[in-house]
Amino acid sequence: MVKNSLAFEAETFRKIQPQEYLRRFIQGNIRPDGRSLSQFRPTTVNQSCITTTNGSSMVRIGNTTVVCGIKAEVATPKFNSPLEGYLVPNIDLSPICSPKFKPGPPGELAQVLSENLNNLLKSASVLDLTSLCIKEGIAVWVLYIDLVCVNYDGNIYDASVIGMITALTNVKLPEATFEESSGLVKATEELSVTLKLQRIPYSVTVALFDGQHLLVDPTEVEESITSEQITIVFDEVGQLCSIWKVGGLPSSPEHLKQCMNIARERYKQISMIVKSSI
Amino acid sequence: MCIITVLLILISLMDGRRANELRKIKCKPSVLSQADGSAYIEQGNTKCLAAVYGPRETRQKAQLIHNKANINVEISLAPFSMPQERKKRSKSDRRLLEIASAVKQTFEPIIMTNLFARSQIDIYLQILQFDGGTIQICINAATLALIDAGIPMQEYVCACSAGCHENHTLLDLNNAEEMADTPELTVALLPMSGKLTLLQMDSRLHVDKLEPVMNLAALGCKEIYQTLDETVREYVKDLFQKSSPY
Repeated sequence: MVKNSLAFEAETFRKIQPQEYLRRFIQGNIRPDGRSLSQFRPTTVNQSCITTTNGSSMVRIGNTTVVCGIKAEVATPKFNSPLEGYLVPNIDLSPICSPKFKPGPPGELAQVLSENLNNLLKSASVLDLTSLCIKEGIAVWVLYIDLVCVNYDGNIYDASVIGMITALTNVKLPEATFEESSGLVKATEELSVTLKLQRIPYSVTVALFDGQHLLVDPTEVEESITSEQITIVFDEVGQLCSIWKVGGLPSSPEHLKQCMNIARERYKQISMIVKSSI
Repeated sequence: MCIITVLLILISLMDGRRANELRKIKCKPSVLSQADGSAYIEQGNTKCLAAVYGPRETRQKAQLIHNKANINVEISLAPFSMPQERKKRSKSDRRLLEIASAVKQTFEPIIMTNLFARSQIDIYLQILQFDGGTIQICINAATLALIDAGIPMQEYVCACSAGCHENHTLLDLNNAEEMADTPELTVALLPMSGKLTLLQMDSRLHVDKLEPVMNLAALGCKEIYQTLDETVREYVKDLFQKSSPY
């Protein structure tokens, strides 16, 4: 170890020079929280935890915790797609989860994440929206997918995707029929209808540090130091659903290949964790 | 009228509780890593998460008080928490602001704010599942979170609701009982000194019934205090054992 003439305590060094602090760890092939560069934090999933919802889940990746609740309502379909229902995802990042979020209307991060979740549902065709139809052109189900982050410690997107997909898998809807005579939709008391997901995508986020080191599943501290993040989403048959890398330093195609391999491996891990949580 | 009676009897049978029995309480301190103090409480089917940040710098200069800390309480109801329809209640919803204000005024004299002049203590409450008893669960969760944050307080503050129906006093009303038009009294108590800090009722109650209902609520508060205190002591014992080098 190089000894400087000005020797700082580790805590002070971490606050003054966070990048250099991280660099020292990475030189030894380890991260400040003890993980290796390609190790994910312990992930747990709890399904059907909120009874006032049609479907719910709570996901923890390390300290990052997201609660997802789905409520179903009846609505009129869009004019140009009379047979399709809607999925409306929305994530709420409020001051409870981290001191960096200020109270008030949803900030940039929350809006970007909500939009990304929406795009994922649409582009990956996770659910056949015609299965949400009650009566063509008159009544369809709309599923409000509300995600509440209660503890923000980095990698919120991965946690949200897992939360959203697992909540969708345990959604229970009543059987709904449209009565011509009264013009009302009647639903049974019992919730017996479940959703059939066409694809089950899970995402993996990797941060790129110093243009060369791939830090898998970054914590909040690591996220704030690195400016590049790559998110890759795979589905259950190994097909790529989406890639997202925005800005930061340009990264080589080699990095992308490595990330894809990491993502493929991680997919199997997540599937097992989700299966064991039912 | 008799329909409501039948409904209430059925409900208490469904709930499985006796008239003066509290709902099952589960509580856990220190559940969030980012907050300075946090707690998770379940009272029956109502679930609440509390996070305390502070004392820290005030966000706006206008909120700065020169000789004590400013306490800020924010309550948010998750859109999926209501049993009927999804309600996206904004944080500036009047009802939530009223409850937040009640919680703030309850804690202001209890927290030793004069020790932290010019700073701010933020209490964030998130209700994940709603089944009646918002104010009481918010106060109980805030107490536990403040203790976890290490913010000096004079005493615990424990809250409980009680109601009255057909000469039967009921303790700890859930949503169905609240909706059934029973008069509901919420009481927040300092359990060790027995002093009342909050008393709220928004329905008609015969003056003769006031004392028994208030006494029942106070008993409920004392029971909740026992549970919270036990939880805190267990947690500290556990921490102590883990931090000890042997």
